[in-house]
Amino acid sequence: MTLTASSSPAVELSGISKRFGAVVANDGVDLVLRRGSVHAVMGENGAGKSTLMSILFGLVTPDSGQIRVDGSPVTFSSPLDAIAAGLGMVHQHFRLFESMTVAANVVFGAEPRRLGLVDRRAAEARVRELGERYGLEIDPRARVSQLSVGERQRVEILKALHRDATILILDEPTAVLTPGEVSSLFAVIRRAADSGTTVVLVTHKINEVLSVSDEVTVLRDGRVTGRFSTGDTSGAELVHAMTGRDVLEVSNQGDVTPGATVLRVRDAVVSEGGVERVGNISFDVRAGEIVGIAGVSGNGQHEVVEAILGTRSLARGSVELQGADVTGWSVRDRRAHGVAVIPEDRRGEGSAITMTIAENLTLGHHRTAPIGANRGIRRGWISLRAQRARSRELIEQFDIRTPSGQHTAGSLSGGNAQKVVIARELSYGAPLLVAEQPTQGVDVGAIEAIHGRLLDYRTAGGAVLLVSHEISELLALADRVLVMLSGEIVAELSRAEATSASIGAAMSGATAPTATATTNTTTPATGVRR
Amino acid sequence: MSAPPEPQVLRHPLVRLARVAVRHPVVVPVGAVVIAVLIGAVIIAAAGLDPLTAYAAVLSGAFDPDTLDYTVSVWAFICGMALVAAIPLRMGEFNLGGNGQLVLGGLAAAVVAGQSGLPPLLAVPVAILAAAVLAGAFGAISAPLATRFGIPIIISTLLLSPVAVAVVSYLLRFQIGEKGAAVAQTDRFPESARMWALGDLSYTNVGLIIVILLMVAYWLVDSRTAVGFELRVVGANRRFGAYGGVRVGRLALGAMAASGAVAGIVGAIITLSAPYRLTDGALLSPGYTFAGLAAALLAGGRPALIPVTAVLFTVLQVGGAAMERSADVPRQLSDVLQGVVIVVLALRTVVDNRRSGEKGAR
Repeated sequence: MTLTASSSPAVELSGISKRFGAVVANDGVDLVLRRGSVHAVMGENGAGKSTLMSILFGLVTPDSGQIRVDGSPVTFSSPLDAIAAGLGMVHQHFRLFESMTVAANVVFGAEPRRLGLVDRRAAEARVRELGERYGLEIDPRARVSQLSVGERQRVEILKALHRDATILILDEPTAVLTPGEVSSLFAVIRRAADSGTTVVLVTHKINEVLSVSDEVTVLRDGRVTGRFSTGDTSGAELVHAMTGRDVLEVSNQGDVTPGATVLRVRDAVVSEGGVERVGNISFDVRAGEIVGIAGVSGNGQHEVVEAILGTRSLARGSVELQGADVTGWSVRDRRAHGVAVIPEDRRGEGSAITMTIAENLTLGHHRTAPIGANRGIRRGWISLRAQRARSRELIEQFDIRTPSGQHTAGSLSGGNAQKVVIARELSYGAPLLVAEQPTQGVDVGAIEAIHGRLLDYRTAGGAVLLVSHEISELLALADRVLVMLSGEIVAELSRAEATSASIGAAMSGATAPTATATTNTTTPATGVRR
Repeated sequence: MSAPPEPQVLRHPLVRLARVAVRHPVVVPVGAVVIAVLIGAVIIAAAGLDPLTAYAAVLSGAFDPDTLDYTVSVWAFICGMALVAAIPLRMGEFNLGGNGQLVLGGLAAAVVAGQSGLPPLLAVPVAILAAAVLAGAFGAISAPLATRFGIPIIISTLLLSPVAVAVVSYLLRFQIGEKGAAVAQTDRFPESARMWALGDLSYTNVGLIIVILLMVAYWLVDSRTAVGFELRVVGANRRFGAYGGVRVGRLALGAMAASGAVAGIVGAIITLSAPYRLTDGALLSPGYTFAGLAAALLAGGRPALIPVTAVLFTVLQVGGAAMERSADVPRQLSDVLQGVVIVVLALRTVVDNRRSGEKGAR
C-alpha cells in the first residue's frame, strides 16, 4: 500500500484535452501512474473517464496534451502503438471469439509459431504459465462460450498479459461480476501490482476503490476534482469530489401537501444475465411530491426508471400507475395512461439527432390532437402545420436556442438538446414525471430553470420521481430521498433528515445515517467498506 | 481515426467553408455516382476502349426516342423495387428478399389470370390483389422471426428468398406449366386477363400508373402519417422509438408486409404484361430487385428522391445493353457501376459509424 518515493511514474498524462463537438470530454487532465501501484480513476457517467482511457490506449487522439511512458513522450495513433509501449486494456464489453478456445483467444494476433503454423501446445503452455504467475488459473482448452462472465474476464486479462503489458487498464471490470468473482479479481489485481504491473482501475464504485487501490484520481465534467492517496481518504470525501456542486438558488419550500398515490412499486426485481440489478424494492410517489432517488450511478436507479416506463420488464414484483397495475403494459399504453420520462441518456435514448427539433418534440404527441388525431377522419394523419406551430411554441417557452425548429437536434448544444427532451416530456402533462439526471452536463443558468420547472410541476399537482447523483440537487428539490446502493433502497430520509452528510453516508454504504451530522468529514471512512 | 491537433492552414475560412459543403447530404450520393463513373471509365480504358464513346452509347441507348417506351417501363419496375427496399430501409431494416416476393407475386397473378376465368374488368385487379397478399404475407414472415427469435430481417429475407424462387420454379416445371414446352412457362393468358394498355404503347401500360400511385402513397404515408413518422423515428434511433412508445415489432410487421406486397404487385404487373405468361427466371434475369435496392440506398429511402435515383439505374440497365451493341463494351460494366455505387455508399455508413463510435466513447 505505501508508496515509496523511489517508485517512478510508469505513465504521465499532462494537460489532456478532448472535445467532441460542443461537449468537452476532457479539459486539461493530468494523471500520474506510479509503477506497481493500483490507481483508481473515478467519476460519474459522462465525467470523462472513458475518453481519458481511450486516449491513453490510442483509441482517441487528444486535441492537446502529452503522454509520457517511462519518462519519454509518445504519440499513439492506434491501440497497436499503445500495446507496443506496454499497455493492455480490458474493455467493459469483452472482445472474445466465443467458439474458440481460451488459448487461441489469448494468443490471437501474437501467436507462437512453429513451422509457420500456430503452435497450439506452446500457446497452452503460455496460458498455464501466465495463469500460475498471476493467479489466473483457467483451462486453456476450454471454449470461451462455456465460460462464466468472470472466467471470460480472466481471458481478457491474460490476453493483455500475453502481450507483456506492464500497464493494465481495467474499464469498469466489476460491472458484470458476482461478489465472489469481484474478490478474486481484486486478488489478481493485487498480485499483478505486487509483481510490478501498473493497474488502472476505472470505476465509480467507492467501496472497490477503497478496498483495492493505492491512489485515486477523481474526474467531474472532464476535469480532475480530486487526487487522493487511498489510505488518507474516506468514502464521503470521494462522493463529494465526484458529485459536489455549489448550493443552488431554487429550493423546495415544502409547502405542498401530497395527495393520492400516483406510482406504487412493489417488490420489484430486475435481473440481467443472472445478476440482480434491482433487488426487491418497494416505494410510492404521491401527487404533489418530489421523491428523490440518490445513489452513485450504476446502483440500479436506471433499471428502476426503465421498469417504470416499460422498456425493461420486471423479473418479479409490480408497478401500479394511478391505481392500475401496468406491470405487463407496453410503453405506449403506459405513456397514454400517464407517465413521462426525462431519460439520463438524452442523445442515445431521449432524442434522434438526425431528425429535426420539431420532429423530436413530436414523438408521443403524434397520435393525439393537435398534431395527430385519435378519432375521426384524421385518425393516423399528422398535421405538419400543427407540428410547426407547436415546435415554435415550445422553443419559445423553453428558451431553446436554435434558428428554427427545422434544424436537426444534433446541431444543438448539450443544454439546449436537454431542453428539447424536457419540453417534450413536460408538455404531456402526465400525472407522473420521472426525471433522470435532468441537469447533467447543463450549465448553471439552465439548471436553475430546470429546477424551477420541476417544482412548478409538483405544485401543479404532478408526482415527480427525481433520480440524481447530485446531492445538492436532491437537497434543493426533494420532499423525500430514497438512497439506492447495489440495487436496494438502503435509506429513506425525510426532508428534515436529508443532509449532504446523511445522503453521502448512505450512498457510500455507511450504516445508520445520522440526521445531526452536518459536514462530510465526520463520516468515518471505515464505515464505507461493505 | 480522428485528426491530431489542427494545423493552422485547416482553420482558414475557405477551408472551413469547403468542409461544411462536404457535409451537405447531397454530396455523398452524387459523389458515389461520380466515383462510379470514373472507375467505370478506367475499366473501359484498361480494356482498350474509349470511355467517352461508351458512355455516349449508354445515354443515347437509354434515351433513344424509338425505345423510350421500353425505357419508361424499366424505370417503373425499378421504381417499384426501389419502394420494396425503401419501406423497411426507412426504419433501418433491409429487405433482401425482393426476388422471392417478386416471383410469388408473379405466381399468384399467373394463377388468377390463367385459371380463374374472371371477366375482363375483374381479372386484372383480382390478380394484382392476390399477388400483393401472397407476397406481402411472405415478406411479413421475417418480422416475427426478428422480434421473437432474434433473426435479423436482412438475413431471413435473404435466405427465404431462394426458397420461394425454387418453389415457383418447381410449380412452373411440373405443375402449372405449359405441357410439352421446352421452356418452363405457363400458357398465354386470355385477352381478358392482360394488363390494360396505355394508348398504343407496346411496353408501358397501366402498370406505370399503378407504380406512380404507390410512390405517391409512400410519400404521403412517410411525411403525413403517424405510422410514417414512427418509421422514421425508429430508423433514426431505435431506442428513442421504443422509449417514445413505438411498438417496434408491429411496425416491422407492417413495413415488411407492405414491402412484400409492393414486390408482389410489381411481379404481377410484369407477368400480366407482354408476353402475357409467367416464364421461369424471366422476372429475375433483368435484375430489377438489386437495381431497385441500389436506387433506394442512393436515395436514402427518401420518397421524393427515389424516382430520380431510379432514372440513373434505368439508364445503366437499358443503356448498358445499347453500349454492348454499339460500342462493344460488355453490359456487365453496368453491374460493375451499380456495385461501385453501393460500395461507396456502404463506406459512408462505415465512416459514419466510426465517427459516432468515437463520440460515444465518452
